Amino acid sequence: MPSQSTNPAEGSGGGGFPKARNAQTLLPLTVKQIMDASQTSDDKSNFAVNGLEVSTVRLVGRILNKVDRVTDVSFTLDDGTGRIPVNRWENDSTDTKEMADVQNGDYAIVNGGLKGFQGKRQVVAYSVRLVTNFNDVTHHFLHCIHVHLELTRPKPQGNANITTGTPNQTMFRDGMAYNQGSHLNQASTFSAPQNTGTGTDMSNLVLNVFHDPSVINNDHGIDAEYLSSRLNLPEDTVRKIIQEQVEMGHLYATIDDNHYKSTMNG
Amino acid sequence: MDTTSPAAFVNGEILKMFVGRRVRTVVQAQREEGGLLIGQSTDGHQLTIKGASGAPMSRYLEIIGIAEPNQTIRAEVCTDFGENFDPAPFNGLCKLANGQMKHLFL
Repeated sequence: MPSQSTNPAEGSGGGGFPKARNAQTLLPLTVKQIMDASQTSDDKSNFAVNGLEVSTVRLVGRILNKVDRVTDVSFTLDDGTGRIPVNRWENDSTDTKEMADVQNGDYAIVNGGLKGFQGKRQVVAYSVRLVTNFNDVTHHFLHCIHVHLELTRPKPQGNANITTGTPNQTMFRDGMAYNQGSHLNQASTFSAPQNTGTGTDMSNLVLNVFHDPSVINNDHGIDAEYLSSRLNLPEDTVRKIIQEQVEMGHLYATIDDNHYKSTMNG
Repeated sequence: MDTTSPAAFVNGEILKMFVGRRVRTVVQAQREEGGLLIGQSTDGHQLTIKGASGAPMSRYLEIIGIAEPNQTIRAEVCTDFGENFDPAPFNGLCKLANGQMKHLFL
């Protein structure tokens, strides 16, 4: 995540895709997200989800209307949020074996390339695996949510729009999006009230300690006392910030309710 | 590419808001009463499932179907999710998928 936020020029410009990911990065998505994806202007076969170009996707759903042909298998994947046609080329015997393992009605994990063809969206699958542990289904959708939050949170344009509406609270929240690009942007564009400004700085201070290499490598994480003494801040203030960061999904409790680690680099 | 009938993730509580619409949920099969399956939802409610008789008891079943009044679902598809399904994350997913993250699902 830091690699995404280290480029203020790109961030404040708002046009480009984060460099840390590229279009080939596998994204877990719901079919609904794919159907809502915008087509990038120059080439109608490319898609963008949350402003991020996407070509490789993971979907989890039920297989319907499976049709075996000589060189390929086609089916419809229904993940409960929508349906999308999937095609799987059978180049060698492992492909054929994999496709023989899944039947209509089965849950499968599909990794593949998202294509637009004659105005329709479809997936050309690289792998189709039968789901044997159904916790994978729950996990996939939670993963979709998590990745969506990761990708939308530091988005600079979003920040600017929201902050004009309700400056006070959202400024504070945006500050936690560890996005230097938008942070600089805000500082110059808006005259932030003093208290929220400090709040933002403090949460960044706290997060910085969590991202210190010595802390990241500590299995148990760190507690509020340690933070308080290291930052020379009152312990209840530190606890409050920790709680907020936990709610934002940036920190999590480890061995007990007093020790925390960052969700980054985890 | 039919997106006209998505199935909403529901637990017992959220099911009430989807009467007449397509839902998906996971229940632990408890018993059968006159051809109806009684199962426990991931948030501890008792749900009645029509059209799922003969399901294996005490296992987790995914039910996709139409929500009816009185905590009832008319099942269209029933999938055995086995004995080792963890209901707690699924319950959390139901809340997220109908709350802040609804636009990813419905």
